[in-house]
Amino acid sequence: MNIFLRELKAHRKSLIIWCICMVFLIAASMGKYEGLSSSGQSMSELLNDFPKSLKAIFGMGTFDIAKVSGYFAVMFLFIQLMAAVHAAMLGADIISKEERDKTSEFLFVKPVSRTSIISSKLSAALVNVVILNLVTFISSLALVGKYSKGEAVSGDITKLMIGMFIVQLIFMSVGSGIAAISKNPKTATAVSTGILLTTFILAELIDVSGKIDFLKFLTPFKYFSPDTLMYGGAFGLGFLAFSVLIIAVTFGMTYKFFSARDLRI
Amino acid sequence: MNIFIHELKSARKPTIIWICSMVAISLLFLSIYPGIYNDAETFKKTLASFPDAVKKALGLSIDNVTTLLGFYSFFFMYIMLCGAVQGMNLGLGILSKETRDKTADFLLTKPVSRKQIMTAKLMSALVSLIVTNIVFTAISFIIASAVKQASFSAKIFVMVSLTLFFIQLMLAALGIFISVAARKIRSVLPVSLATVFGFFVISMIGSILGDKAVRYITPFKYFDNAYIIKNASYETVFLVIEFIFIATAITASYIIYSRKDIHAV
Amino acid sequence: MDVIEIKNLTKNYGKSRGIIDVSFNVEEGEIFGFIGPNGAGKSTTIRTLLSLISPSSGSAKIFGKDCREFGPEIKKEIGYLPSEVFYYDKMKVIDLLNYSASFYKKDCSKRIKELAEIMDLDLKKRIDDLSFGNKKKVGIVQGLLHDPKLIILDEPTSGLDPLMQQKFFDLLREENIKGTTILFSSHILSEVQKMCSRVAIIKEGRIIKLEKMSTLKDNNYKKFKIEIDTSIDKNYFKIKGVNNLSVKDNVITFLFKGNINEIMKKISSVDIANLYIEEPDLEEIFMHYYEKEG
Repeated sequence: MNIFLRELKAHRKSLIIWCICMVFLIAASMGKYEGLSSSGQSMSELLNDFPKSLKAIFGMGTFDIAKVSGYFAVMFLFIQLMAAVHAAMLGADIISKEERDKTSEFLFVKPVSRTSIISSKLSAALVNVVILNLVTFISSLALVGKYSKGEAVSGDITKLMIGMFIVQLIFMSVGSGIAAISKNPKTATAVSTGILLTTFILAELIDVSGKIDFLKFLTPFKYFSPDTLMYGGAFGLGFLAFSVLIIAVTFGMTYKFFSARDLRI
Repeated sequence: MNIFIHELKSARKPTIIWICSMVAISLLFLSIYPGIYNDAETFKKTLASFPDAVKKALGLSIDNVTTLLGFYSFFFMYIMLCGAVQGMNLGLGILSKETRDKTADFLLTKPVSRKQIMTAKLMSALVSLIVTNIVFTAISFIIASAVKQASFSAKIFVMVSLTLFFIQLMLAALGIFISVAARKIRSVLPVSLATVFGFFVISMIGSILGDKAVRYITPFKYFDNAYIIKNASYETVFLVIEFIFIATAITASYIIYSRKDIHAV
Repeated sequence: MDVIEIKNLTKNYGKSRGIIDVSFNVEEGEIFGFIGPNGAGKSTTIRTLLSLISPSSGSAKIFGKDCREFGPEIKKEIGYLPSEVFYYDKMKVIDLLNYSASFYKKDCSKRIKELAEIMDLDLKKRIDDLSFGNKKKVGIVQGLLHDPKLIILDEPTSGLDPLMQQKFFDLLREENIKGTTILFSSHILSEVQKMCSRVAIIKEGRIIKLEKMSTLKDNNYKKFKIEIDTSIDKNYFKIKGVNNLSVKDNVITFLFKGNINEIMKKISSVDIANLYIEEPDLEEIFMHYYEKEG
């Protein structure tokens, strides 16, 4: 419990900054929506005929950005990107920082098992992720609702946020797994954000190409993308199962490899 | 000179990794270019049924993104994203790593002034950025020539590619300034990722909304590729802003660094 | 000639104390001890000398030149060994030493080999594979390889085994005989006592004593230990000049400074079983200063 609290405290400042940035991002983009909503009306019909790849290049995906839900869906890509960056860095950082800061000799000679240390750390990371998700959820509900003009958005937003939470979990667990495996604690954050960037760019590539949809399994950003969630309506069972598998495997790896790890001094 | 060479050696591996990943992105996107081009051609035929005014407006914007240069400058955004992280990492790390790795005592008790140290490090950072840009642009150009559907201007291709260098310089200067202004930077990557992603998200939202003021805030918007393609030149005002920014940041860094207290480990 | 001149040096860290009004000189060719407990300001003083930090007020000169203004120039002749050594992890020992030598514009390869042999250091290993003690050896070679005229040591012996410490001290004495000035900071009094000719004692940021080692030891104090058969009044020996008085069972110990006849008279009027009069070691003097001041 003491480690858990210590970690919560250690990440408090950065979490607050992340939350503020997130709220600011949502507020700023929704604030701009007002200007857009009036002028975009006539274009939307025409846009429906665009090839998918061209829309992706124009940065609109398959959404009708004249509607508040469509507009939010476009913004959601960036919201999700931010949340994923936060989660990946957090997962990698929380596991590797003792060695990086040379405090491992302090912590790991205390009468606690490594397993329980990791459990405390991961729980603390989970709390951080949940808080960021809730802050995003609540501020989205409030700010999008303000411009919705009666359009029912809370259902869509709830679905998107659940999807985002799973994506956050995936990147957090991948980050922690990498930190447990990598020999040099300094590279853990670099590698996990590298993976994140790769998958993000891959997601864009899939959109633009329109022909390599089978690669979607490689990028969590495509597992619960707003176009399927909002218009198809349901979470893909395959992706859901795959996510659980990734999370379980990487968390398992974290425990297994970290317990057997030769700590660097 | 010895510091310069020492720095170059330690920058070699990350520079190679950055070049490889940026070339990989370039290769991936360029390889799907022929498909995009065909999509656009087909779509333009369906446009025939639309009124002339719409045809003109849309046809033009489609042409803008589906020429090789247009498509290159579209995905160049992701190259810039990577390159910006590279530049920022380099700037943030090059001085602060001495404190972080506790080698500052070694270096600063040698008979060299802090100005000389700073200059040597700046030069080595500059060299690794120049190498990155030359190699990246050359390889991309070769790939682009291989996938082209129509001839394109080599000069403009290079001009678009060169914006990567400008952005890297700017973020490297920012990074150096932050690293001397902060007391200690525990790890570089979170700081540079947060900064770069912040600028990136702002610029993405800015481009969806077409907001003019955003252009001054984020370096990603300093160089409008559409403008470069159309006019075969950069926008002077942003070149000037960039120059002033870099000069100020570097000068301030020299001054702060030469007065900075280096604390015991 | 004074190699180091420190005048009214003060350094504040925000509100907390660094060093206050520190002044002392180190003469050419001497081994100067600088002692004080942890946190007294030894490292702060040394880091100011090396212009790693800038003083809030006051000045320090090395070889007659201001150490901030002429930093790079005077560092050509300084060798520095910190208490904890950290080097570029990925380099080999020899690469690091060559890199270090490359700053001094003279050929140091022979000296590197010599020193490595004396210190029994494997030049081919990678720095991050070295133990703490072996890294320390790298630090010693690194600090001496350019034959500096001034060696600054900041608690240098931690991590070295006694054998290596001895070799290290021998090495320093050799250098000293050749004319090298040494500033030796430590909290271990015995090693300062062994090595140094003069000593400054620092406490809570201030220099509280600056004296020749011989003066400090010889002239001032005698250490008395008296064994008696009968019990006496605890305060019997509490006269002027007596310090650190302790009475335990039948054993009385104290330090005495003053007219030796007076204390002898006092002793002669007691029935004593045994009497020892010794030179106090530095430790006891040191404790004395600290207790008195505190």
